[in-house]
Amino acid sequence: MVHDMGSKPMRDKKYRFLSQPRRVVEDRRFVAGKGKYIADYDRADMAHVALMPCHLPAARIDAIDASAALDMLGVIDVVTGAELVAAIDPLMNGLDTPKVRRYPLAVGQVRYAGEWVCAVIAESRAIAEDAIEHIRLETTALPYVLDPEQALRDDSPLVHPDHNSNVLLDKKFVWGPVDDDFAAADHQLNFCVTWGRNSTVPIETFGVVAEWNAWEQMLDIRASVQMPKYADQIAHALGLAGNQVRVHYDIDVGGSYGVKRGIKHAVLIGYLARKLHRPVRLIEDRLENMRAGDAHGPERKFDVSVAFDKDGTVRSMKMRALDNAGAYAGRAPFQLGKPIGAIVGPYRIGSVAYQAISVTTNKAAQEAVRGFGQAPTNYALETAMDRVSAFLDMDRLALRQHNFIKTDEFPYLIPSGSTYDSGDYHTVIDKVMAAAEYPKLVATCNQLRKDGMMAGIGIATCLEPSGGNSSFEPLLNERNQTTTWMESCQINIDALGTVTARIHTTSSGQGHETLVSTVIGEILGIDPDSIRVVRPNSLESLPGNSPVGSRMAIMLGGAAARAAEKLKAKIIAIAAHHLQCDATRIDYQGGAMLSANGRHITWDDIIESAHRQIHQLPDGMDPGLASFDIMQVPTGGDLPKDGKVHMYPCYSFEFHLVLVAFDPIIGKPEIRSYTIGHDCGTVINPAIVSGMTYGGIAHGIGAALLEEFAYDESGQLMTQSFLDYLMPSSHEVPDIQLVKYCTPSPHTVFGQKGSGESGYLGAPAAISSAINHAVAGLDISFDKLPIRMSVISDKIAAATHHRSDSG
Amino acid sequence: MKSASFDYVRPDTLDAVCSCLASHPDARIIAGGQSLVPMLAMRLARPSLVVDIAHIDELSAIRDDDDALVIGAMVRQATALSDPLVATHLPLLAKALTHVGHPSTRARGTVGGSLVHADPSAEIPLVAVTLGASLRIRDANEDFEFNAEEFFIGPMLTMIPPTACLFEICFRKPTSANVGTGFHEIAARRSDYALAAAAAHIEADDAGIVQDLRLAIGGISDFPQRLPVDVNIDLSAGKTNLGSNLTTAIDAALDSIDVVEDMHASASYRRRVAAELARRAVDDALSEIAQDLS
Repeated sequence: MVHDMGSKPMRDKKYRFLSQPRRVVEDRRFVAGKGKYIADYDRADMAHVALMPCHLPAARIDAIDASAALDMLGVIDVVTGAELVAAIDPLMNGLDTPKVRRYPLAVGQVRYAGEWVCAVIAESRAIAEDAIEHIRLETTALPYVLDPEQALRDDSPLVHPDHNSNVLLDKKFVWGPVDDDFAAADHQLNFCVTWGRNSTVPIETFGVVAEWNAWEQMLDIRASVQMPKYADQIAHALGLAGNQVRVHYDIDVGGSYGVKRGIKHAVLIGYLARKLHRPVRLIEDRLENMRAGDAHGPERKFDVSVAFDKDGTVRSMKMRALDNAGAYAGRAPFQLGKPIGAIVGPYRIGSVAYQAISVTTNKAAQEAVRGFGQAPTNYALETAMDRVSAFLDMDRLALRQHNFIKTDEFPYLIPSGSTYDSGDYHTVIDKVMAAAEYPKLVATCNQLRKDGMMAGIGIATCLEPSGGNSSFEPLLNERNQTTTWMESCQINIDALGTVTARIHTTSSGQGHETLVSTVIGEILGIDPDSIRVVRPNSLESLPGNSPVGSRMAIMLGGAAARAAEKLKAKIIAIAAHHLQCDATRIDYQGGAMLSANGRHITWDDIIESAHRQIHQLPDGMDPGLASFDIMQVPTGGDLPKDGKVHMYPCYSFEFHLVLVAFDPIIGKPEIRSYTIGHDCGTVINPAIVSGMTYGGIAHGIGAALLEEFAYDESGQLMTQSFLDYLMPSSHEVPDIQLVKYCTPSPHTVFGQKGSGESGYLGAPAAISSAINHAVAGLDISFDKLPIRMSVISDKIAAATHHRSDSG
Repeated sequence: MKSASFDYVRPDTLDAVCSCLASHPDARIIAGGQSLVPMLAMRLARPSLVVDIAHIDELSAIRDDDDALVIGAMVRQATALSDPLVATHLPLLAKALTHVGHPSTRARGTVGGSLVHADPSAEIPLVAVTLGASLRIRDANEDFEFNAEEFFIGPMLTMIPPTACLFEICFRKPTSANVGTGFHEIAARRSDYALAAAAAHIEADDAGIVQDLRLAIGGISDFPQRLPVDVNIDLSAGKTNLGSNLTTAIDAALDSIDVVEDMHASASYRRRVAAELARRAVDDALSEIAQDLS
């Protein structure tokens, strides 16, 4: 019997449904092609929108003449930024930069090539595209800047002249005795690495449908969205009351991992729906999505210094992270803040100096991307570990093991203020080394080298901070006082005895219905497949913050568990009343409650009492069987102090071990072996966790080798479609051996940690490590992702040529 | 990404196709549509008339003409890939077709469509140039032909007049029984556009003396090009390593080619890899012959 999950951790008992290999509820409709996506939503009188881009990276808008377009049959309206600025508020950005204003359409000035300057609304999308060709846009080209270092200089063109600087954020933190540690260390080394501008690029582009009902004064929004406080932000920008915007969460989202925020789209389409009194739909096409969906990810240059001793102890680190935000703040600056919560990775680095700089340039804006800046930081950290190993001529893994936080040191406070919950890094390493048959892997690598191939073994270890709150917001912006990032769940047991749970967000493939039904089924002792999970609209919802920061297993799973516990307590109280015994003597067994003296009451009797027979309930008890829970992030709630704050409650661990080989002339890296060790605490559904991890590794392979939103010198995006933005296909993703381990978190209901970012957080570092290991003998290295095959070959050729010249 | 509006016709005869083209100077022929449809969607192509040749039966046949194999322009790539005549007489084409797109695009894409589209990195044009195929064209009721080597003049640019339709491609069958082929290409991902590609077709007499060595490269310049390598090769004692003569000849032939570069690969990369792939293609071809002789 479990009354108080705090004092009796559930993880100690064998689970009936949790952690069991059960089918994923959502798979049934997705595999059958019966998902309900935004493009499936239709309305008879729906108007369609296409967006006119300006192709200059920076330009003053002198005039927009849409008269010819408006004369065309089927064209309803053309809306410009000038019209919007008079009617709506700027989009929120969370920073204290009031002069960096962002609207859905360019206002007065174009700030990146492809930025939308006007929206055409027509009876069909094709007519809208035809009409764009008849709009005359007069502009004056302005100077532009693409490189973040150049954007920092005094003589740089300004992306937002009113802001009087390209700097959105420049924060320096010193945690611990950095200077002393550097002075005392035997050695130090410096290096620079660059993370290329990639993203999560879903097959489904962003889409939104807005409908305004003037008689109800209600704006209904359906969107392919994954975003906290989406309805609030729409209402805010449009000047509506919170209860005049109704976001419908029962739309399946066809891929996201962070980027499906579409706030500028929703504000624009919401405005149009109100203005035109018609349902209005925007489904981005691929060009709109890639050029101007404002969904690129971090583009980050790291200058790193590390101080270390002869025995391999890494004492201290200085890191300057310069992020190219693009033209507007978006979520870019905060993606420099989240990694502070795991700034030392799994290592006992005693002190850290961290400078986070976010600058505007004339590129598209960023959105939140899987890991929220953690994957780039991990890449820099792991490069540091490899460089120190090389410097000391020490085994790369031994160096990491030497610096790992040990399992008996948890909870472990890191210099920047976060406390890691739990972990057993050494054991995960041992298990992976055994599973991958490491000596054989080394032998294979050596044999490949003998056969004339370049071959290298890559390793990377990293943490996945999970259970996301937004502590980095007050840390980077003192005016932001957010200390909660709650999630909620409601449960109702109807008069027929069946259970329905309500969750308050859209789902972009994370399996929330499986998560919630499994958790509730476990606690109530009933088959999860009999539990219905629904996603109502925002006005029927309790507060929540959507799936960000690898949080839903912890937060939605937590809220569902807590709500289920409340219901269970009520059921037990009813049973005790019937059986005239103390509640502590009730043996709760799912469908039937047995008391100590052998008498029992059935589930149906409980339902009957709760729904029809208040005279059978304990005095003062309300009728019905319903509960809800609004859960605060465990361990969260403090404001920053002295530049430090505790961030996320849980820290999952992963260890990647890969073998990469390539022909020295062709330079095309082939992953010959991939093993990952993964510890995300108690697993709720094994298939979901494995799927997240495999997908994360595929995504990481893309970041390491293929994917980049690359601009040419004239500021044009060269990768505007899947022709040039290369994502790994099934051919490029190898078989992956997944070694699971479980170190429960003490802070969560079942000991679960997050896994939504797993794989992606370490794979780029591991593949970079392998390629650099392969070429180490040539005294060359690759320090920018993605590492393109032509760059590998060119550099090897130059090094070989140089050697033959000098030799 | 909606195409500009256009008219669509689906004639039953080649002559009807030609008259459509003659009456609409900006008309475009659609065969498998694997390149044209995306170009229409992005408005990179905006014809007033699209002429669908899918229902002209004579264009979909593979014909054995004694000393040549004649492939209709509308023959799907997947059909050619599984055709026993192609496998027997045009082993190089059979090898190359496995690199063309994916099974799903090959099911729609056509042999002729790939040739007239003339993507510099496409496999079928490279094979046509290597083998010196004849491209047979009808223009206003008059038939004429181009050798593949004269046909391609730039990226997506050929000698075909806008009013004409490619209707079949004639590949000469090998004259010797001792044939070896090699095809290699490198792309960032499997089945992407080749950054460099090389094709070799070699015929030797029964004594093992190479009589005909045809080598060509694609993907590195504006159109596929033959690499003239004039080297005596004797396989009578079995195959040995490629002589330095051959390597030098390949490098020298590549020297005279203007190599392109883009964000995916530098010119130096393409040149270096083209040389390597050319060596591998020749090596594969020679190995096949040596194996047959032994």
